[in-house]
Amino acid sequence: MAEAAEGEAPNGLARRAYAFLLRPEASVIVVSVALIVYFEIANHNFISGANLVTVSQFVAAPVIIACGEIMLLICREIDLSVGQVFALAPFLMQNVHDWGVPEPVAILVALAASALIGFTIGMITIKLSVPSFITTLGMLFLITGLTLTISRGYPADTAGGPILTGIMGVWGYSEIVWALVIVVLMHIALRHTRWGLHTVAVGGNIIAAAEAGIAINRIKVANFVLTSTLGGLAGLLEAFRVGSIDPLAGGSNIMFLGVASGVIGGTAIAGGAGTIVGGLVGGIMLGVLQDGFTLQGINAFTFDIVIGAAILIAMIANIHLARLRGRSPQ
Amino acid sequence: MSDARSEAIRAENITKTFGTVTALAGVSMHVARGETLGILGDNGAGKSTLIKILTGFHQPDAGQVSVDGNPVNLGSVDEARAFGIECVYQDLALVNGLSIYHNLFLNREPLWGGFLKLLDHKTMRRRAREALDEIGVNIPSIDVAVGQLSGGQRQAIAVARAVSSNARILLLDEPLAAMGAREARLIIDLIDRLKARGDIAIVMIAHNYAQTLEICDRVMLMQHGEVTFESQTASTSAEELLEIVRREYRAARGVL
Repeated sequence: MAEAAEGEAPNGLARRAYAFLLRPEASVIVVSVALIVYFEIANHNFISGANLVTVSQFVAAPVIIACGEIMLLICREIDLSVGQVFALAPFLMQNVHDWGVPEPVAILVALAASALIGFTIGMITIKLSVPSFITTLGMLFLITGLTLTISRGYPADTAGGPILTGIMGVWGYSEIVWALVIVVLMHIALRHTRWGLHTVAVGGNIIAAAEAGIAINRIKVANFVLTSTLGGLAGLLEAFRVGSIDPLAGGSNIMFLGVASGVIGGTAIAGGAGTIVGGLVGGIMLGVLQDGFTLQGINAFTFDIVIGAAILIAMIANIHLARLRGRSPQ
Repeated sequence: MSDARSEAIRAENITKTFGTVTALAGVSMHVARGETLGILGDNGAGKSTLIKILTGFHQPDAGQVSVDGNPVNLGSVDEARAFGIECVYQDLALVNGLSIYHNLFLNREPLWGGFLKLLDHKTMRRRAREALDEIGVNIPSIDVAVGQLSGGQRQAIAVARAVSSNARILLLDEPLAAMGAREARLIIDLIDRLKARGDIAIVMIAHNYAQTLEICDRVMLMQHGEVTFESQTASTSAEELLEIVRREYRAARGVL
């Protein structure tokens, strides 16, 4: 940053390019484009309508979840149980619908229940001074049990008319449209509202935030509610897209993809810094990797090794680029 | 000289104990607008406790605080703030990851967009620039993250924030701690300019005798929760102050 700010590069364009590359999202964009080019050359099918739909579906749910996790990470919290809310919400919707409640209302009930779970996590974390890592680890198991109890362990079919299912996810791109709308809204929330600014302040220097009179607990609880609600929404969208509800959907896998998207995109694990756009870019990179490797026909066993290594490399690169920018990710 | 100026804050016979420890045993102090009072003393002398009573963080066991000559009860930090009492703490209470202008307006951000309540970055930038110019703090860009500033610049931003939130009684907790000569100069000049405005009373906790004598109009030495020496800086010297402290050390050795 110091170099970029003082403008040591001889001409403006080079300097801007350098400054851009030092942005947390930039390196990920560059890597994503390189991966897309590579997969396209290797398969010739990567950039095709059908495959783009598939990629968008890999990307959407982790990005929606990342929008919540990024806010939590920025204020030095985390939600490990969001993937379980992802699985629970469709069953709640289905059960409420089975009692004769119209589908749209059932969706709202499921979302409200997801929000309530976030609120509970927040209150336990704040009032009982339990690290959210522990609170949500407990909730992870608790909610899994709840989902299995409600579903009796069996998948179910989603109901609903054509318009509703269309909006919620039957059209190939509906999930990614939802994700992009949420990204835009959350970007505005993070950069242009007091909620976002105070979230950064709480994670950056909690004493300073308290000194300034910021309601720290309210900020944190709001972000827990947000994350659980988004987790529930992502689960509902996925259920409508697939057309069936799986008690083992989502889980820790989707939670890790969400957190990884955020961290790859430049959100500091230790709080105080992060961007929503970075989460989108990180999610796209992970989606491209997953889809590309699937097209390549990489063995399912080695698949996770490659994905895991890629996530590690991306995160390490980001931490070191942050240091290069002169701003240690505290 | 200070007699002509109006008194901003006064504390009379303040006592404060924490369990069996007596932090303050009947301390009195006062400072006028446009005056700078330096409080010197070792660790544990009670300086910080006194400051925390003036900021409303602690409440005294006995004694009376008055602002502008009126007895007041400083029950909380917010109540003290309502009287224009602002403290700049050693830990600075700035958020490193946020820009200068965000730090200056933290939790009192101007908004626009009606019910959408969006942050008014433009107004914040402009007013931040004005606030810094007004007190002569020269920083190239208000968009820079506070974490990239030097210690002196950070201190200046913290002072600017207190002043821009209408501080009339400014308490500085070791404003020159861990600062090089040039950095310290920045803050000393800033304090001089604030003093010259004439409407702000400054109370400053410090360790460095030479700097304190240079900056302050009056100094007060605290030892074991009592004020043991007080003088206009013009009529005392670092030697005199050191001699008082040395005497205490010798006495302490004698007891042991």
